[in-house]
Amino acid sequence: MTVVEVDELAMSYRAPVRNGGLRAALGSLVRREYKTVQALDQVSFTIGKGEVVGFIGPNGAGKTTTMKILSGILHPTAGRVAVLGDTPWQRRAPFLKRIAFVRGSQPVGGSQELTVMDSLEYQRLLYDVARPDFRRTLDELQQLLDLQLDRQLRALSLGERMRVGLAMALIYRPEVLFLDEPSIGLDVTAAAQIRRFIADHVRTTGATVLLTSHYVADVTSLCERLILIDQGKLAYDGPFAELSARLSPYAADLLESLREEDR
Amino acid sequence: MRTLSLLTFRIRQQVLEWSGAWWFLLTLVVQAVIAPLIGLFIWSAVYPDDPSITRYYVAIILVTLMTESFEQHTFSNRVYDGTLSHELLRPQPVVLGVIGENLAIRGWLTLLGAPIVLVTAIALHTTFAWQSVLLAIPGIALAAVLIFLFTFLLSLTAFWTDRVHPVVGFGSQLAFLFGGTAAPIGLLPDGWARIAEALPFYGMHGLPAEIASGKQYDGSLGYQLGWVAVLTIAAAAVWRAGIRRYTAVGS
Repeated sequence: MTVVEVDELAMSYRAPVRNGGLRAALGSLVRREYKTVQALDQVSFTIGKGEVVGFIGPNGAGKTTTMKILSGILHPTAGRVAVLGDTPWQRRAPFLKRIAFVRGSQPVGGSQELTVMDSLEYQRLLYDVARPDFRRTLDELQQLLDLQLDRQLRALSLGERMRVGLAMALIYRPEVLFLDEPSIGLDVTAAAQIRRFIADHVRTTGATVLLTSHYVADVTSLCERLILIDQGKLAYDGPFAELSARLSPYAADLLESLREEDR
Repeated sequence: MRTLSLLTFRIRQQVLEWSGAWWFLLTLVVQAVIAPLIGLFIWSAVYPDDPSITRYYVAIILVTLMTESFEQHTFSNRVYDGTLSHELLRPQPVVLGVIGENLAIRGWLTLLGAPIVLVTAIALHTTFAWQSVLLAIPGIALAAVLIFLFTFLLSLTAFWTDRVHPVVGFGSQLAFLFGGTAAPIGLLPDGWARIAEALPFYGMHGLPAEIASGKQYDGSLGYQLGWVAVLTIAAAAVWRAGIRRYTAVGS
């Protein structure tokens, strides 16, 4: 069963540009100039139910833009996208209740004075989670993520914030998870803990995951399949082993050893 | 029912959030009461024997505290720093969160500003007829809705410009001038008074304050309701255009 369908996806936007200096600044008051930035160009792929796919590429390649389109934050310029059969940017409530988008750069939004428990309780209300289900999932998450429910969000460290961000996303058991750099800024131990948690979660719930990361260990330990994107274009889509074989033997060995290490 | 519990939870969240910044809330209270206090001192010096002037301005102070809106700081900042995306992904209308924060801040301002209103009223020997105060309640509620809609509408310009504060500041100056804070509408020159009575600003401050201070109620809630409808339609249209732009460019 296909959960994510992306067909000929394109995203471009106009960015204002001008030369340096006062003359150019005054000129731009009368006539503004723009340049078109092509963030995504004819990107197509599909993701099946329960797949964990690594979405990799250099900075500015279009990974986060794709994630934002798939979760419904951005409206693409062209192409067709369906996630769980829905058009994401229509942001219909039933669709939003089935997906989660966790960003390593902003893992926890909303009120920072609240405690972790208050924030989770708010999620329960928002996502209409029945109390017994909430209690059960919370017990699991608390064990796996070592949550301190009485702490205020503003007082949490980066690693703790990421764990809370994951807990807030998973408390309503979404079917599709978009994880954008979930281990960014974390130390080795915390990053490994997050990776282990994601792997456990996928194994027990069968959730579909699309994961971006600059850390090789993240994608190699979690994903059998990789999608490589570069300058907005799809450069590779296939098994991890094949991509590593295409790279130099040294790099392939390195990737494999990192993968083993994480296991 | 679900909307109500979400709104209640959001208000509770924001009351907690703002409780950590009570000193900042105090500065907002001072900022809110300064203009009406100046009006009070000037106009009660001009008409020293008219108790309705002091009554009117004490009511204006209270109405201002109960209806202040700061969406240019709350909502617009979320557009600027991109955290609006968190709200977009929640299965609830974004405006619900904006309203929740608005009501929480108003609650704090009313609570912290109440002693100022009380001290001013006692110092100036001002009394209110309870029937007039009761009659003013629907007018104050509509004034609160009007100010929220007006400020929210102007704050939505954050989707197009990063200079939302001057835009909202200009709107606030219009409200100060034509809303009955700079001078009671009845004391404005004839032409200005007629313009002021037609604009929405009178319904934001002057009208409910006049009713609370004892002016005969003349069914002017219809005028407030009319402006509520106009501003709701305008805010909804601008929201739709703005969110289309936000989701096209991103953050």
